[in-house]
Amino acid sequence: MERLDLTGLACPMPLIKLKKYLAETAGQNRPFLVSVSDRGALKDIPAFCFQKGLACQLVSDNQIIEFQIRG
Amino acid sequence: MHTEASSDSLPAQFSIIHSKGTLDWAYATFILASSAAVMDKRVELFFSFYGLQCLLKDTRGLKVSPLGRPDMIIRSPHGPDWFKRIDWNRALPGMMWTLPGMATLVTHGFKKQMARQGQLPIAELRALCLELGVKMTACQMTVDLFGFETDDFIDGIEFAGAPTYFVHTPESQSLFI
Repeated sequence: MERLDLTGLACPMPLIKLKKYLAETAGQNRPFLVSVSDRGALKDIPAFCFQKGLACQLVSDNQIIEFQIRG
Repeated sequence: MHTEASSDSLPAQFSIIHSKGTLDWAYATFILASSAAVMDKRVELFFSFYGLQCLLKDTRGLKVSPLGRPDMIIRSPHGPDWFKRIDWNRALPGMMWTLPGMATLVTHGFKKQMARQGQLPIAELRALCLELGVKMTACQMTVDLFGFETDDFIDGIEFAGAPTYFVHTPESQSLFI
């Protein structure tokens, strides 16, 4: 599965990069993984996905937080 | 550069009147603006008085100084962990910040800390806001008051008075920084 590495970025950069990625891959509807290190993203990414109507599942919550996102 | 308000644009949903010309508050506004834009809000920023510094091509005037700022938290971006945890604004007497070069030193530390945090340099963050569709207006009255030329400012912004800001933001959530 494709992985979008957004580690090392601070709010709101992970969401900006995620949004750009979604625009670039529009219509593909393939699930992908997103890795972040920003603790705020733990809430922000699901909130963003909720607004966009995307399914978002927390895969791991350690130093690196990982989500699986599906259109 | 736009000199007229575009009449076809939809009203903003989130707006900030930005009056401060220091680097820390510039980050606060541009981070909030880009966050709102990424969440699909139409964002309008109105820069007035010293806030105009945030729209200049030359961002070197944006600094931070703890002088007269007891609220500021100053941490060293260098050194061992225990050293980096010290808040120098509490640890040192206030008169330390009157020494020559202190604003430059603290500004350097602040920029390093923001970079380490994963934030972009301020000019890049500002450009990103424009790319995300954030509208920025420089207050014409204060541009004239301080003797700035339109050429001193970045491209992609508008020049207008506060009445235009109010027309663009009839029911928006507004902040004053």
